[in-house]
Amino acid sequence: MTENPQSAGRNIGYIVGGGLRENLRIRLTVDPQEVQEGAFIVVESAGWFFYGLVTDLALGATDPRFADEQSEKRLPAELARLLHGQTLYTTLEMLPALMMETGPEPGSPGYDEWANFHQEGESGILPIKTIPSHHAAARLARASDVAQIFGSPDKPGNFVLGFTREQGLPVCVDLKKMIQRSAGIFGATGSGKSFLTRIVLAGLIQQDLASTLIFDMHNEYGWDDTASDTNEKVHGLRSKFSTKVRMVGLGRDNTVRGQSPDLYLEIGEEDITPEDIELLSRTLNLRETTPTTLEALQQSYGREWFHQFRAMKVGVMIEGEDGKKIPAPESVAFWANETGVNVAAAEGLRSKLNRVFDLPYVVTNKMENTLQDIITNLAQGKHVVLSFGKHENDLDYLLVTNILTRRIRETWETKVNAYRSNPGTTPEPRQLVVVVEEAHKLLNREMASQTTFSTIARELRKYYVTLLVIDQRPSQIYDEVMSQLGTRISGWLGDEDDIHAVLSGLAGRDALRGMLAHLQPKEEVLMLGWGVPMPILLRTRRYDDTFWKELKGDLEGKKSPEEQLKKLGF
Amino acid sequence: MTNIEIGRALRSGVSGCVVGCRVSQMDVPEFGGMVSIPLDDGSKIFGLITDIHIDDDGLVRQLVTAENISAEVIEDNRLNRNVPVEISVLFIGYELDGQYRHLLPPRPPLSLLAIYPCGEQEISAFVSTGRMGYLRHILRAVDLPVAELVAAHIRQAGTIQKKIGKVEWTETATRELIILLRDDYSTLNTVLSSLADTGSFR
Repeated sequence: MTENPQSAGRNIGYIVGGGLRENLRIRLTVDPQEVQEGAFIVVESAGWFFYGLVTDLALGATDPRFADEQSEKRLPAELARLLHGQTLYTTLEMLPALMMETGPEPGSPGYDEWANFHQEGESGILPIKTIPSHHAAARLARASDVAQIFGSPDKPGNFVLGFTREQGLPVCVDLKKMIQRSAGIFGATGSGKSFLTRIVLAGLIQQDLASTLIFDMHNEYGWDDTASDTNEKVHGLRSKFSTKVRMVGLGRDNTVRGQSPDLYLEIGEEDITPEDIELLSRTLNLRETTPTTLEALQQSYGREWFHQFRAMKVGVMIEGEDGKKIPAPESVAFWANETGVNVAAAEGLRSKLNRVFDLPYVVTNKMENTLQDIITNLAQGKHVVLSFGKHENDLDYLLVTNILTRRIRETWETKVNAYRSNPGTTPEPRQLVVVVEEAHKLLNREMASQTTFSTIARELRKYYVTLLVIDQRPSQIYDEVMSQLGTRISGWLGDEDDIHAVLSGLAGRDALRGMLAHLQPKEEVLMLGWGVPMPILLRTRRYDDTFWKELKGDLEGKKSPEEQLKKLGF
Repeated sequence: MTNIEIGRALRSGVSGCVVGCRVSQMDVPEFGGMVSIPLDDGSKIFGLITDIHIDDDGLVRQLVTAENISAEVIEDNRLNRNVPVEISVLFIGYELDGQYRHLLPPRPPLSLLAIYPCGEQEISAFVSTGRMGYLRHILRAVDLPVAELVAAHIRQAGTIQKKIGKVEWTETATRELIILLRDDYSTLNTVLSSLADTGSFR
């Protein structure tokens, strides 16, 4: 992507009004078509740069009659052009976000004093605190401005996620910072969420910043795929990072795109806790009596509760000594009577749990402890794509993700506590990003308080685990979880509630709302939140061969000379 | 300044004057034309011709009602009038110590001072000075046909500027007029219509 010299850095107008609350107003001196909503602009005033985004463009006239009358039909073209230039105008609204003191010119009087006052290496970029003066010139951002705010693409650790729309300037994201808190990628179906997620994940893997556990509900991320709209080949992460990414299939019979996974995940009966079942209340339509029954089961059988309950039968009767029919010892009713649990409630729960008991990947005797293998791989810095294969209904997703994340939480909490107790002798735990598709199914208001995911979003940042939430209905995600998402990247959203949810808790959301609603349906995203210095509208990178060439090229380029020689056989 | 005297001041103020001239001198001045009045102190006042007025006298009143007036009589009456042709001039600036100023002159010209049409060089120098501040004197003259006056001046000055390569002058002047009049929709519309009729714009 190259910079468009026609527009980059070009003056577009001057400040005519506004403020911090109501945004700044800029009178355009160029055609309105040369600037678009979301453009990154810079205002220079009295030794300060003010950085912001275009949030609105409005036509105006010194007198409404100039706008009403089509003077170009009455006057010669040249004259009409001059008239329109002075009486008809466009006012641009800028959401100011950041400011930076430029200081005196190097070598000029006062520069040394200024330079001494400002520490070397200090960027000097501040959140917006004041405003530029009247008539200060506004211009479209140059490559240097974008690099100043978002980081230079040449600097290690900066990852180019996309380009500014008008000028095509590369915009970087600091992935290391981004994953320090949970993040979200949102967009309506077909807006390119999966491609963007692939790009982010590829960046994370390439920069080796964290391990990633990807709950791949639709089998998109691991193996190569074909794009539904272009029919072009889409590279999978496993294909491109074959030594770093482990494919895990749910169930023994799982193949993805005709390929066998590296590991098969089977859930042992003892891995399932009563809390895992309670999470499925809505999916299985469980009653209020369920927690009591489950507690009784656990008290009766301990870790074997699931196995024992699975073995029980409903409605099996035998003849008692007095000739009356009584529940058989292997029946649910027998156990319920023994433990004082309501028989109807226990039998009802047993029937409803049939869907879980029938899951082929829930087994009595696991051939391998894949759950532990996954955690070990993640702890060792590998990346895991858990493909649900044909098990892609809500029940599979909720049950498996919760069991796995619960384990992760326990393991990482132990690791971090050990590290903090003995930082000298215990290795620092590996940062882990859990990628959750269709996040609203796990993080809705009803589920959020029960799943481990909400705990991760709220608390596990301190334990080196964060979420990367991917969803098309952010409004369905519990607001308490949404408020924890540091970085939000959103493609086009059609629903007003979804737009509201993505912008909740952020400054300038009213101004950004229109921008989000007007995104192009594909390949345009608004990136905002804690992980980025200021909101920015991007045309995302294309996830294609060029992307991989550049990414792998970066990888090669950043190898030390010794490593490169070694690769060449010296 | 040319050497062709077109008349002498009859009455004057700091914003303008009325010049009297003979009919024989009338083929030089034109509506909107730029004129200058050299003063005794070496300074020079510049103005635009805003009106050329021919008043009647007693003899004309008698003649218009008479029958069969001979051509000689008509000619004699025109050339040997008792009442001069009056030319109204709106002042738009002055020159002092070689510097052009788009301000009204500090003092009016005395009566009988001669008035001359400006030469091309002089017009070009005057209109090229500063930021066309002199236009405000024209636009303020509400009793005058402002639109026609502006159009005549822009056509004259624009033609001269174009000759010497300053092709952008007409556009710059028009833009300045639009800025000055953009809050006065009806006047600006009239001015632009007049400018369109000059044929200076494509």
